[in-house]
Amino acid sequence: MIIRKIQIDNYLCYYDTNAFELSEGLNIILGENGEGKTKFFEAVDWLFNGESRELDMLVSAKKLNETEIGESFRVRVSMTVEQYGEKSIITKSFLAKKEKANECSTSSFMIEGISENSSGERTQVDGQALLDRIFPYQIRKYSMFKGEAELNIFESDSALTNLINLFSEAKHYDKYSEKGTFLKEKAEKAVEDSSKLDKKNEALYRRLEGEILQLEREKVKYNVHLITTEEEIKKIEENLQEAERHVSNADALETLNKRIKEIEERISNLTARIDENYTTSLFDENWILVNFESFHKEFAEKVSKYSKTKRELQSEFDKQKGIKEGEKRAKAELLNNAIPLPNNVPSKAVMEEMLNEEICKVCNREAKIGSEPYEFMMKRLKTYLESQVIEESEPNKDEPLFKFDYLNRLDNLSISHEDNLKNLRLIRTKIKELFKFNDDRKKDIEVLSEQLEKEKSERDKILGNSSIGAEKLSDVLKNYNAWQRDLKNRNQDQVDYTTKLRSLESELKAKKEEKDKIDTSSANSFLIKTRNILRDIETIFIDTKEKKFDEFIEKLQTKSNNFFKTINIDAFTGTIVFTRRNKVNRTIVEVELQEDGRPFYKPNQSLLTSMHISILFAISELASEIKEENFPMIFDAPTSSFGENKTAQFLNLIYETENQKILLIKDFLHTAKATKSLSIKKEFENVRRDKAFWVKLERPFDPNNLKTINSQVITL
Amino acid sequence: MARKDDILKSFLKHELLENKYEFKKEELPTTVREALHSDKPIIKAIALIVEGLDGTSPVTDPVLRNQVTQFLNEAL
Repeated sequence: MIIRKIQIDNYLCYYDTNAFELSEGLNIILGENGEGKTKFFEAVDWLFNGESRELDMLVSAKKLNETEIGESFRVRVSMTVEQYGEKSIITKSFLAKKEKANECSTSSFMIEGISENSSGERTQVDGQALLDRIFPYQIRKYSMFKGEAELNIFESDSALTNLINLFSEAKHYDKYSEKGTFLKEKAEKAVEDSSKLDKKNEALYRRLEGEILQLEREKVKYNVHLITTEEEIKKIEENLQEAERHVSNADALETLNKRIKEIEERISNLTARIDENYTTSLFDENWILVNFESFHKEFAEKVSKYSKTKRELQSEFDKQKGIKEGEKRAKAELLNNAIPLPNNVPSKAVMEEMLNEEICKVCNREAKIGSEPYEFMMKRLKTYLESQVIEESEPNKDEPLFKFDYLNRLDNLSISHEDNLKNLRLIRTKIKELFKFNDDRKKDIEVLSEQLEKEKSERDKILGNSSIGAEKLSDVLKNYNAWQRDLKNRNQDQVDYTTKLRSLESELKAKKEEKDKIDTSSANSFLIKTRNILRDIETIFIDTKEKKFDEFIEKLQTKSNNFFKTINIDAFTGTIVFTRRNKVNRTIVEVELQEDGRPFYKPNQSLLTSMHISILFAISELASEIKEENFPMIFDAPTSSFGENKTAQFLNLIYETENQKILLIKDFLHTAKATKSLSIKKEFENVRRDKAFWVKLERPFDPNNLKTINSQVITL
Repeated sequence: MARKDDILKSFLKHELLENKYEFKKEELPTTVREALHSDKPIIKAIALIVEGLDGTSPVTDPVLRNQVTQFLNEAL
């Protein structure tokens, strides 16, 4: 769409009929302050968006002055537009009737539309409908900008939603994430209802439901806390930055702030290392028991005494046992350790026979009574006879003297007490050392705190050397230190809330898994399967929506940076970064200038303006791509912070861009000191443009008398 | 290509379908019409939702819910 002509009749300083025959590319309208630039912009804005209130305020005073009482004239802004080879004229106008010397009444305004096809046939159409069709309202919003401040469209929270609705396919995915959640919630409900029919886990299920609900609420609460804290941090940082703007020695302030932060961190680390919880040593580590040592001594002595007695008894018992064992061994040794024959060999009868006959029939020799062989046989018979007698009173050979070893346990207890006592006695030293450690750290903190105070007072001095007045300065100073404290506290809150949220999430996950387990055993399996699929579908819908959103933001970012680099060619600019941030109820996009991933330190207004213009050009390019059409852009004084040289460079660069642009600027005009006459500077000849106009007040005029004001339009 | 087909294709690009459901990219449908005849319940369910929201005759929430849950409950 191209605006071919704008005609302004009797609108404020534009007396009678004034036409701007515009070109397709870059149109520059020059004008000194107060000579008609902004009124041109406002006239076009009135055509697009104006209301019917206070129409008498829009009437040209000069025209009203020239009109007879009772006579009428028309106030009109008209635009001739070309689109797809067809011409359209949209005119907004009202009738002003002079009632008294300086007063008029007005009719309501009307919007007329005329469509002219390629063969020149004209038809009258609804003006508003025609305007909305050829230049949709949402696009008009991103086409007209007054001053530098308005260029930062992301100041407004609704800007993003508008952009998404206009240019991103992300808008189609909103309803899917909503419906995905709706379907999943219904499926969850069906599973829950089915699970509740199983009375077995009723109580547990209800408890889990309650706990999950409670955790969800907690999560929402902490999320709100976190987001609010993040917003507060941002605000405090902005306040600090704003205050720092007034400070002459910004670099020194930055260094000091870094040092202060470092000292504060060191103090915080040292404070964390101080552990004055001495009661832990006293109770948890049982230092309190150190006073019960005498009881232990008495106990240990008793144990030792019993132990000795026991050992003596055991020793005696073992000795007796050993003697018997020794006898056995002695016998065995006699036979050279050969395994002896069983006691019943030879048998009792044979032995008695041999003894009676006094002959050893085993070795076939005499064994007279009293002789060694006779005694041997007699002893052997005796052993046999003894082995046949069972003495019930005799204790079992393997049975120990002490069936239960209580004393061993007491012994161990005593040893363990002894070890504990050894450690307990050490606690005294440990506590002493802890006292010393804590004292040392406290001294360190004292030194650091002194240093911190010095740095802070140094900072106050730098802040004192600021560009603002003394009254405001004391406020800034007071606030600055308070903001620094707030920032420290909010940063800690942010850490705390993040940790809390993480723990809530993992608790919630565990509870949900527990509930899912009950569902699996209680609910109908087809309901569970349906729910699981709908859970996945919800995930797919939400992720896809976010992906589309991010793709759009990335596209906008790439395009903006392309323009940004072009506008600031050969200069260091940093990079425009779009960041998605979730607020309590909505998502917003923050735009920031960064260098190497960090916020650009104090970008100047000219850089900010070129950043904002770059974003607008990017949006305009997106509009061209999506709507497959170009739309014009009108800027009133967009580059007031640029300076003439940079403005010239900027104009030469945007000359290359595709869209139609109308720029209203006050540069390139020269006022002769002596005659006060205005002229256009020679430098303007070097500015590339498609068309240029000069709006200037007809001379002579009385600045205090509106009836003398008439802006003339000169086509250059 | 119709917008509803573009939307469906964006959803079917989600990694969950490849990683969890082990669908191969080449066996996924490219149009809503095709997806409505899919033998994979999740694909057909997505197609039902896309048809319900961006098809020729959009449906209300209860109707959409009935269509999708009834289909899934029977298919699974």
